[in-house]
Amino acid sequence: MTDHHAVLKLTDISRSFGTIKAVNSVSLEIRRGEVVGLVGENGAGKSTLLKILAGIERPDSGQIEINGKRVNFRGPNDAFKAGVGVVHQEQSLFTNLTVAENIDKQNSNRRGLSRFGIQHWSRLNREAAAVLDKIGVKLSPKAIVGDLSFVDRQMVEIARAVCVDPGAGVTPLVILDEPTAVLEQAETEVLEREIRNLRRFASVIFVSHRLDEILRICDRVVVMRSGKLVSDRLTRDITKDDLFISMVDDVAIAPHRSRSRPRASGNPAISVRGLSRKGRFKDISFSAHRGRIVALVGTNGSGRGALARSLFGAEAHDRGTIEVNGKPVSGWSIGRAVAAGLAYVPAERKTEGMIGGFSAARNVALVHHDALKTGHFLSPGRLARLAQTWFDRLDVKPNNIDLPLSQFSGGNQQKVVLAKWLTSPDLKVLILDHPLRGLDVGASQAVNHQIRRACDEGAAVIMIPDTIEEALEMADEILVMRDGELSARHDLTVQGTPAIQDIMAEMV
Amino acid sequence: MQDHLSKIWKGPIGLIASIAVLILLFSVLNPRFASVENLQNVLFQVSVPLIILVGTSMVILMGSIDLSAQGVMGAAGMTWILLSPNTRLEIDLGIWAWVAALGLGLLLGLATGVIYAKLRVPSFVVTLGTWYVGLGIGIILYGNGMLPSLTDEALARWPTRLTLGLPNSFWLAAFVAVAGALVMQFTHLGRGILAIGNNELIARSSGLPVSLMKVSVFGLAGLLSALAGILATMQLGSGSPDIGNGQLFTVIPAAVIGGTALSGGEGGMMRSTLGVFLLIILNNGLVLAGINPDYQSGVFGAILIVAIVAVAWPERSRLKVAK
Repeated sequence: MTDHHAVLKLTDISRSFGTIKAVNSVSLEIRRGEVVGLVGENGAGKSTLLKILAGIERPDSGQIEINGKRVNFRGPNDAFKAGVGVVHQEQSLFTNLTVAENIDKQNSNRRGLSRFGIQHWSRLNREAAAVLDKIGVKLSPKAIVGDLSFVDRQMVEIARAVCVDPGAGVTPLVILDEPTAVLEQAETEVLEREIRNLRRFASVIFVSHRLDEILRICDRVVVMRSGKLVSDRLTRDITKDDLFISMVDDVAIAPHRSRSRPRASGNPAISVRGLSRKGRFKDISFSAHRGRIVALVGTNGSGRGALARSLFGAEAHDRGTIEVNGKPVSGWSIGRAVAAGLAYVPAERKTEGMIGGFSAARNVALVHHDALKTGHFLSPGRLARLAQTWFDRLDVKPNNIDLPLSQFSGGNQQKVVLAKWLTSPDLKVLILDHPLRGLDVGASQAVNHQIRRACDEGAAVIMIPDTIEEALEMADEILVMRDGELSARHDLTVQGTPAIQDIMAEMV
Repeated sequence: MQDHLSKIWKGPIGLIASIAVLILLFSVLNPRFASVENLQNVLFQVSVPLIILVGTSMVILMGSIDLSAQGVMGAAGMTWILLSPNTRLEIDLGIWAWVAALGLGLLLGLATGVIYAKLRVPSFVVTLGTWYVGLGIGIILYGNGMLPSLTDEALARWPTRLTLGLPNSFWLAAFVAVAGALVMQFTHLGRGILAIGNNELIARSSGLPVSLMKVSVFGLAGLLSALAGILATMQLGSGSPDIGNGQLFTVIPAAVIGGTALSGGEGGMMRSTLGVFLLIILNNGLVLAGINPDYQSGVFGAILIVAIVAVAWPERSRLKVAK
């Protein structure tokens, strides 16, 4: 079936990383002037698919056709020349250059805007103004991008994506990867209007976690789950519930818990009231009791990561109070947090959680080495005994404390990172940011087991799970965050297990 | 407060105001400071660091660093004087002395650039090496013979001679600075330098010829260091491999005080120029105010630290790693 109106045609695209099939035999067609929504949970393969379209990743198999011609992208420039413009999740603008320069940077050479190396400012500004005008954005081409608001910068990104190859008569394909994740409500409306505008001369792939938005903007919605394209329907034929059901893996819908659920009682180990940080989170109040697990769920950009870092003193907060063991803290910092019995496992394990070149034993001893010291000297014997104890207790494999930590598998690395904090005799609050990131099923279970154990031994756990299923499996209380605010809370020990659909609705 | 501090240091208005305050202050301390002769002297002193700074600023704007200036100056200065009318060798190549000295600087710069851009090693270390290679060339040329002094009176006097009331040295430096500013504003190379300094990864993925630009910029910096070496040699009237001594410690603080971030992308040629003026006026004024010259190293060092703190102020956060 050759549709000559197809701007993009994917046939059986696959891409694997190790044993994981990130994209599994995906076929998709996008027609001229169509706005297609792409949704799916984190890890469903959306990002990999987009990277293939942008020429950043190459598919293992399958073919890509653009405007009926088969293409083979060797790099981002090839995709760009073929007419694929991408607005990435993270903005990729030169903040020190002007709007016009940013729009044209990619092809100013080719179009003779800088003959003999001399920059033709007036022509550059004129052409940029034309592009901005076309997408209906009122911005000065001469403005410095760094001085613009976030939404205006997003417009510059879109302008750049749209002007992939003006004049060649090709319909550009614009890919927007979660452009609204960090925008305020009013800004989102502006962006939505722009996207509807784009339809007149471009095709759009729009990725978002906000399903209402997807349903408002898109003509068609495709759903990815576990690397596969599982649903492809016109927007007018579907509801939000339909999307939820296709996004969530039904096998994982009934998570099973082995632990008894303790109810909140006594003084909380940590509680926050009205905690705010400008631009990140606003007016957050909750408490975590010893022996209980609190999960923070929300999309990327919901502010939960920043909240976790503020609890641990790694980022400052503007307003509100943190109480640890009933006592309000002041001058909160990482040092004080650690002294008060807080622990933090960051999401970026390799860069923030561990020192890969150090032996596993030295990683275990990074935090609490008072017990290892004789005067000012570390005792190697005591270090080895401590590390060995924790290796045995956490069942770290290979059982060799002298190996550099970088040589362990991800799951075992994470155990060592946990052990670093568990060595503290008075661990009160364990904060975990994506503790299972990058771990396979077996390693995940082992790490979860250790988290529960720390909890049973009296720590309060505050975790940011990868998925809602993980939250339902682990948590006693689930706090849902949306746009920096707490949008809902579920105490599983009182109300029972909430439905995944309900939580997702509270997230978006 | 944060915004305030950084604006004071970044904006040229703050810089111009600081210079004005210094001029006023020193004029009060010693009336001789504001004399025509002394101001001409200031311009004379500004010229050598200003020429170096044009190249170094481009390198810093690109997010790299160039420490090689003093060495390249020594090599180029010695090459030039030995090929010009001097007391040691009876060779006078005229214009070819200039070509040889500038060519040597260009070559050293290009080699540095190629090693930095193609072998992907930190510019800090490569240029530290180039510094000593240049110094070594100067020392070999100097040898054990007698001090090479300029014998051509016209050449020796050229830097101090006044044209339209300003010393020729300064006219040369001003020409270089204006040309540098034009390159930054109106050429593909200049805008590319800013793009690379802002975000090299995006610059690469946008198809900019990043490596070529890096090599060109280091070549240009080498060429300008050589020019500064020749001018300094002319000003002194005799050759020395150490002709560039101390310049680095005017040039890099000047760039930073001018608001050129060492992380690249932010700043500009004119602001760096103001930075040089500030430092030279400070230097000159402290001497005229009767302050012991021994204190000046300390004062310069302290100013560099204050300036870099002010520039980095808005960026500080608890988890930021500075190396």
